[in-house]
Amino acid sequence: MLELKNVSKIYNPGTVTELCLFDNFNLTVNDGEFVSVVGSNGSGKTSMLNIICGSIPVSGGEVLIDGKNVNSLHEYQRYRMMGRVYQNPAAGTCPNMTIIENMSLADNKGKRYGLSFGVNYAKKQFYREQLSTLGLGLEDKLDVKLGALSGGQRQAVSLLMATMTPIDFLILDEHTAALDPRTAEIIMELTDKVIKEKHLTAIMVTHNLRYAVEYGTRLIMMDKGNIILDKQGEEKQKAKVDDILDIFNKISIECGN
Amino acid sequence: MLFFATTIDGLQMGLCFAVLALGVYISYSILDFPDLSVDGTFPLGGVVCTILMLKLGIPALPAILLSFFAGLAAGAITGILHVKFNITKLLSGIIVMTALLSVTLALTKLLTRTGFTTTIFSFRSENLSGIFGGKLVELLGSQNRDYMMLIIELVFVIAIKLIIDLFLKTKLGYMLRATGDNEMLVISLGKDSGTYKILGLALANGFVAMSGALYSNLFSQYDNSCGSGKVVMALASVIIGMAVFSKIRFVADTTAVIFGAVIYSLCLNYLVLVDTNGIYLKLLNAVMFALILIFNDKTSSLVSKHSKLKGGTSKC
Repeated sequence: MLELKNVSKIYNPGTVTELCLFDNFNLTVNDGEFVSVVGSNGSGKTSMLNIICGSIPVSGGEVLIDGKNVNSLHEYQRYRMMGRVYQNPAAGTCPNMTIIENMSLADNKGKRYGLSFGVNYAKKQFYREQLSTLGLGLEDKLDVKLGALSGGQRQAVSLLMATMTPIDFLILDEHTAALDPRTAEIIMELTDKVIKEKHLTAIMVTHNLRYAVEYGTRLIMMDKGNIILDKQGEEKQKAKVDDILDIFNKISIECGN
Repeated sequence: MLFFATTIDGLQMGLCFAVLALGVYISYSILDFPDLSVDGTFPLGGVVCTILMLKLGIPALPAILLSFFAGLAAGAITGILHVKFNITKLLSGIIVMTALLSVTLALTKLLTRTGFTTTIFSFRSENLSGIFGGKLVELLGSQNRDYMMLIIELVFVIAIKLIIDLFLKTKLGYMLRATGDNEMLVISLGKDSGTYKILGLALANGFVAMSGALYSNLFSQYDNSCGSGKVVMALASVIIGMAVFSKIRFVADTTAVIFGAVIYSLCLNYLVLVDTNGIYLKLLNAVMFALILIFNDKTSSLVSKHSKLKGGTSKC
């Protein structure tokens, strides 16, 4: 279970550009939930993810994982419990390393990175099988450098790498935003499949309202650092893209956009 | 004959600087860290090796190997300054380089003399006569001493190359590569990328110090000014090597770097033939480096690396 309790975040405190984004922000994500988060630019979606992952410090309040305060944990320590897929397809993989080298790195997460050989050739078949689930033909390109792949292929590998080892949370940060519509669709379906198969708790930030409505068990809309809509269970299943779009337009108009 | 002697001399220097270039390959190419402390760790290795040999009477080979640890410590300091105290890459290197100028001077004061009588290259021609029934000496002719020095250096360089190659294939080596390639991934894997930066810089400077030790052995003398210009020399070697040879299939990056160092040294030595007074040597050196970068920028895949530096995304 993940909790944000009375979290506040102030950017550039004490300067003219001071910006209070979160003031007593609260959110609880239960195990097994797949939360889609939507909202306009600057509504605090990505900041929320960054606070959860420890990429930026909080100005006040607590981040709790399974009831334990993780405020003092470094970003890299929190990633031992989480996997994250970024908007930029290049962020989740090493472009100058081959697919099998990348897979081996990800497969070793949580263990020691010592002086044993980096590529575990005994698991080559396993990596092949994993890659073939993507349906992109990558299983025959194990020795190709990641940098030579397309954005969609890289994002697919990133997703695979992020979920390869047991994790408590999967953080998806607009992970389909940089892809063309067809590839985005493939990646989104893959994401849903992986989350269901591995029973992951996931938080997905997206600008695609249709994805937010179609996928996931819970839908949150954010505006100016507040949650203004939170649909769960049956209510979420009944939600329609048009309804969400209406609310979305309303808050945008209020902003003067 | 002068040309021939210059070539032999250039090869000897080149193989010595190949060790330096292999170290800088780790910091510059693998970690994406232009490390300026090299100018300080090179003479540090030389002076530490000299002290070990002259003061403590340790034989040449173990002394050279031990000088690795002096560079290791200095490189770790550069890394700690950058990682723990957020000092930029270039400045942390400059700080350590400047501090080491005093350290090496102070260490030199421990010595009453800086010349050696026996080095790693010390051997008598008579001893070689045992090998292949004296055929080797016959084959190498009157230049046998120079050739033997080259062979010893070559063995040394190849051993280091193989060690680095093997290391970069381990899980730890992968993490080092990942740190230079995509630091975010290392963090996503639940590891502190700073640790790998410190480790990589330590190792890189360890090899640089070893090169300095080998250099003193080559000249049978420690020279306090031997560090100046080594950063440029090492970077040029790495960039030439990677630009020219890495495109050939089955040539490992480390091999390419060794070739780069040898070619660069040969060029430098031929420049000495032109500029006998040595006044314009550094200028020619700089011009050559600039030409390499300009040429390289147009042709090589390293372009992206440089434009990345220009873009300011890398904390340089």
